[in-house]
Amino acid sequence: MARAVELARPEPRRPVRSAPPAVLLLLPAGLFLVVFFLVPYVNMVRMSFLTKAQGAAFANVVTLENYLRIFGDTFYWRVIGRTFWLAGLTTVLTLVLGYPLAYAVARASGPRRPLLLMLLLAPLLVGAVVRSYGWMILLGRVGLINQVLRALGRGEAELMYNILGVLIGLVHVYLPFMVLAVAGALEQIPPDVELAARSLGASPWRTFWRVTWPLSLPGVFSGAMLVFVLALSAYVIPILLGGNNVLVMPMLIVQMLLDAFNWPFGSAMAMVLFGLACVVLWAYVKAMNRALRWIPR
Amino acid sequence: MASIQLEGVTKRFGPVVAIHRLTLHVQEGELLTLLGPSGCGKTTTLRLVAGFLIPEEGRIHFGTLDVTHLPPEHRNVGIVFQNYALFPHMTVAQNVAFGLEVRGLPNAEVRSRVGEILERVQLRGLEHRYPHQLSGGQQQRVALARALVINPQVLLLDEPLANLDAKLREEMRFYIRHLQREFGITTLYVTHDQAEAMVLADRIALLRDGILQQVAPPEEIYRRPQSRWVADFVGLCNFLPGRVLGREDGFLLVDTPIGVVRCSGTADAGRVLVCVRPESLRPDAGGTNRIVGVVRERTFLGNLLDLQVACPGGVVLRVQLTPTQDARPGEPLHLEFRPQDAWVVPEDG
Amino acid sequence: MSATLRRLGFLGTVVAVYLFLLAPIAIVVIAAFNAGEYLRFPPEGFSLRWFWKFFASEPFVRAFWFSLKLASFVTVLSTVLGGAAAFYVVRHAGRFRDLLRLFLVAPLQLPAILTGIALLIFFYSVGLGTRGIVGLLIGHTVVSIPYVFLMVGAVLLRFDRTLEEAARSLGASPWTTFRRITLPLIQGGVISGALFAFITSFDQFPISLLLVNVGNTTLPIQLFDYLRFSFDPTAAAASTVSVAMSVAVVWLIHRLVGLEQVTWGGPR
Repeated sequence: MARAVELARPEPRRPVRSAPPAVLLLLPAGLFLVVFFLVPYVNMVRMSFLTKAQGAAFANVVTLENYLRIFGDTFYWRVIGRTFWLAGLTTVLTLVLGYPLAYAVARASGPRRPLLLMLLLAPLLVGAVVRSYGWMILLGRVGLINQVLRALGRGEAELMYNILGVLIGLVHVYLPFMVLAVAGALEQIPPDVELAARSLGASPWRTFWRVTWPLSLPGVFSGAMLVFVLALSAYVIPILLGGNNVLVMPMLIVQMLLDAFNWPFGSAMAMVLFGLACVVLWAYVKAMNRALRWIPR
Repeated sequence: MASIQLEGVTKRFGPVVAIHRLTLHVQEGELLTLLGPSGCGKTTTLRLVAGFLIPEEGRIHFGTLDVTHLPPEHRNVGIVFQNYALFPHMTVAQNVAFGLEVRGLPNAEVRSRVGEILERVQLRGLEHRYPHQLSGGQQQRVALARALVINPQVLLLDEPLANLDAKLREEMRFYIRHLQREFGITTLYVTHDQAEAMVLADRIALLRDGILQQVAPPEEIYRRPQSRWVADFVGLCNFLPGRVLGREDGFLLVDTPIGVVRCSGTADAGRVLVCVRPESLRPDAGGTNRIVGVVRERTFLGNLLDLQVACPGGVVLRVQLTPTQDARPGEPLHLEFRPQDAWVVPEDG
Repeated sequence: MSATLRRLGFLGTVVAVYLFLLAPIAIVVIAAFNAGEYLRFPPEGFSLRWFWKFFASEPFVRAFWFSLKLASFVTVLSTVLGGAAAFYVVRHAGRFRDLLRLFLVAPLQLPAILTGIALLIFFYSVGLGTRGIVGLLIGHTVVSIPYVFLMVGAVLLRFDRTLEEAARSLGASPWTTFRRITLPLIQGGVISGALFAFITSFDQFPISLLLVNVGNTTLPIQLFDYLRFSFDPTAAAASTVSVAMSVAVVWLIHRLVGLEQVTWGGPR
């Protein structure tokens, strides 16, 4: 039987040279981030130790005054406290509201899953401004909810331009983050584990409390961390839904930077806010690691 | 068609030496299997020949051409991967045509060659299917067609049958063998399945921890293993420790726990192991090496009777008889084996 | 409590929370099409007047086109930068893999407002100021690169490299292999990353807040300024346009890679 005719071996067209070093792939992004991410942050730290100059945003005089001002004035302590308090409450509420959703998403199968995920993610991609606006329409004096209340003869409720409005907005915007984190953890739990518990006689509530909940804690913890930091740095929602009645640190900082043009002080405030956040998170992570000792790492 | 020659090839991964001074010649048109347990370096060897790895020491030639540092795309090798590596975004025809297109062949010729090879592997009519629409056996054949259509000098197969069920695997073994003979391509075939190696190979190369143990045709490896490890790896084997006493009539005399045994081999003196395969132990018919033992365990395997027989000297022999002969646990059994069927290997193999 | 009741309760909670999530967005869209100035229940009638007002409003339209233009540049830049970095980290990084991943994803972990502040101060410190589009471009790209990096990285991790080896063995050069085998098979991830980058830039607020200048403002900022002082549904029309864009993007991503690939925190 005939053999196929010998084909020419593809000859190297030019001398075979070695490929360019792979690190060239990393350099553009790496350098970009070093120059436009790392350096600005370091610079901001430096800025927090400088002073405001006459007519300019800053002067090259090193001082601790900014920090002393912040730590010395109860006004700032109150604003910081309010900011942390709102962030914490938001975290708790997103957990309570988000957990059932996370469970539904994690256990959904087939075509329902992408649908649920899409419904969850779409708000994320819409932007905080649009979502806050939606709440403004709902919560305002002439908003929908008050219209319903008035129609029912219940008078009106102050749902906006106060802490309640801000809270609703914050929970709304950061809910998907918590859901995604918790759903991720829930998905890792093999469903047989719950069935095993039930077969051993545990009631559904017991099963949840002793089996599902502990196993989902990694997701709960990382979701909580994420939401806390996000809520702490929220700007749009407190401004739009809180007006001038709810003052949080990000608002103050932006004011200081863009209106008062005092950069050293603004930087210092930013450093204090996030420095304190780091402390809180560090303690939180420690506690979290102890609670999650059983996880193989 | 070219031969494959590896000379003194060493390959390291950090501190680990995967291949150590490997020297191996695959003759033109031969099918050589690289056999060994996982981690022995057979896949590494294949990848060195393919060009995906560069050795630290040694050279690799295809015929007279030194390919040691030549990139894969210039070596003209056909490779069939364990998972077939069919391009999921291309049809069967496009997959097979890929190597020809890359060589710049005109479309008409590409089409005709693709059609021809698909005919040869009996996949005519499936040209426009995508890989995920094919069965495992069909995907295998596409992979073969794709590798063969470019008329490679050398064909490399990396455990191509590992993902098939037992029956299909057996069919494909003969199929690959047949195809290889038809095309006459120098072939290197990697496997950990020794039955497969026995069926396919012109010669078998046994690898252990990166070191070549023996290269020989299947029958020779089976009957005349060079070490204990080889004897043990290919098929079942009984080992009788002993000391060489001398030669007589061309056979070796070895003193073993069951007595003095007449066997074959090349050793002269010292401590050795006598290898006797289970099927070589037959019912005593008045021959040379006679043993009496007591049956300890009996397993009926259908075509064979597998026995464990306790013999003098604390030796337990594994015996395989055809079921026409029978033996029951607790009963005595008289056995013998021919000197030609007992092969001596060094003790420390 | 019986099983059915429990199930109903659970289902009810899930539905309620989803409604909570989606209601404001739906409300905005409804308001955009509402004939009256205030959204009443029942709605006053269908009308496109607010859309006409939006298209007639010079600041809004200018902001819209500017956002679009900016997002396009950001997408291209971050896709090239982030994609290349993903290749390096997945295939060549070795011991530094985790460290590099941490660094490249860092802009996501720190609040965008902080990054915006840092960049504002930085640009002025080096004399760049916030003139022109460059500052915004850089700022948006910094927070978009991580998305591209994560998505392309995820696709690359799952990629079967024996396909590339097969192509090489068949005679294809490394570049041909990349072009005909690798790229077609990862393009879903690349495009998803690009779309994510696009939307991140289009909807970006904190960075823009600090880096916009008088000449160039983005749609979210324009919307925000408008909402500080008025309430009219032109803002709703503007928002609806934003929403439509986002929905299209999410749907596109799902068609390309399936939403199951979106794991929070990136590939493990």
